[in-house]
Amino acid sequence: MPSVVDASDGELARAVAARAPGTCEAAESELYRRFAPRVRLYGLRHLRDEESARDLVQQVMMLTIEKLRRGDVRDPDQIASFVLGTSRTMAMAARRTDARRERLREAFVAPDAFAAPDPGATLDLDRLEQCMAQLADRERSVVLLTFYAESGSAAVAADIGVSEGNVRVIRHRALAKLRACVLAGRQAS
Amino acid sequence: MTAACAWPIADERLIDYWTGDLPATDGATLEEHLFSCADCSARLEAVASMAGGVAALARQGRISGIISRALLNRLQRDGVRVRQFTLNPGETVPCAAFPGDDVVVTSLNANLTGVHAVSLRVTGPGDVPVGAIDDIPVAAAATGVLWATPGGFVRSMPSQQLRLTLRATDGAGDILGEYVLDHTMNLEAD
Repeated sequence: MPSVVDASDGELARAVAARAPGTCEAAESELYRRFAPRVRLYGLRHLRDEESARDLVQQVMMLTIEKLRRGDVRDPDQIASFVLGTSRTMAMAARRTDARRERLREAFVAPDAFAAPDPGATLDLDRLEQCMAQLADRERSVVLLTFYAESGSAAVAADIGVSEGNVRVIRHRALAKLRACVLAGRQAS
Repeated sequence: MTAACAWPIADERLIDYWTGDLPATDGATLEEHLFSCADCSARLEAVASMAGGVAALARQGRISGIISRALLNRLQRDGVRVRQFTLNPGETVPCAAFPGDDVVVTSLNANLTGVHAVSLRVTGPGDVPVGAIDDIPVAAAATGVLWATPGGFVRSMPSQQLRLTLRATDGAGDILGEYVLDHTMNLEAD
């Protein structure tokens, strides 16, 4: 296997499954580093809560590593599909109950290996505030209703009196402006 | 592998996915790609981060401009401390932001029947322009507009009278209402 950083997902999964001395631990860490952020995003998207998303990361990655170690993953080359499938199943269960949350929080061996980014840490909120102020009024409204009030495009359309298709165009344009504005601020500093 | 993506997902689709505007089957296909693609998942992370930043600003009351009734309700539900002033056309209302206020919302009532968009002009003493907001969409059955300003900004403003003019932007640009906010600077106690 090439170095873990250059290895494919499948190569990493096979290294874990083979319990190869000297590489297994590094392969596990690299798999965690790659997939934990994706599972977190999946959790945020479907559970809409940072804490639940973090719990999902712990659950999914713990199960994935355990199954790989036991040789229970039929096709390690399809490890991405396995992680996605596990995320789906566990997110569905998480929607039904969060009773296991506290118990699982401590369960994974390396809970500090991946820290979810804090919006305040990864984004300069002061800069973002300035960038928001530069948006046209309806762009700002759409962005706030979408990402703060979590309204779907139909609800936003009804709320501000534009068509649903228009909401999506405005939203895309506004996000592009915000991103460019925030990046320009980063480069300037 | 960490190579660049050969079939990058368009930004519009990533945003639609994040906001729940993609059909479920499309979303499932997109997720298959995201889980095997570091590039696209990093781009989705950028969308998520921006979304999280916008929500964080709103929860701190750091929003300005015209807001909808739904947004005001959400702010209040989330415990954002909103100081609200309501004005009818022709009215002068004393106003101030108190130390605990996160955001000040000025509610400008007007007859908006048949109006699709409005503009708001704000002037200070001597008719000096203080702010202008154009092309404000008007939802059906709206009875006014809500103008939000961060509490910290209002507290820093000197005492003065602010004249607000709400105009229809369709048709002849009729004046829908003129209002006066009699602002007092930086009150110390709630």
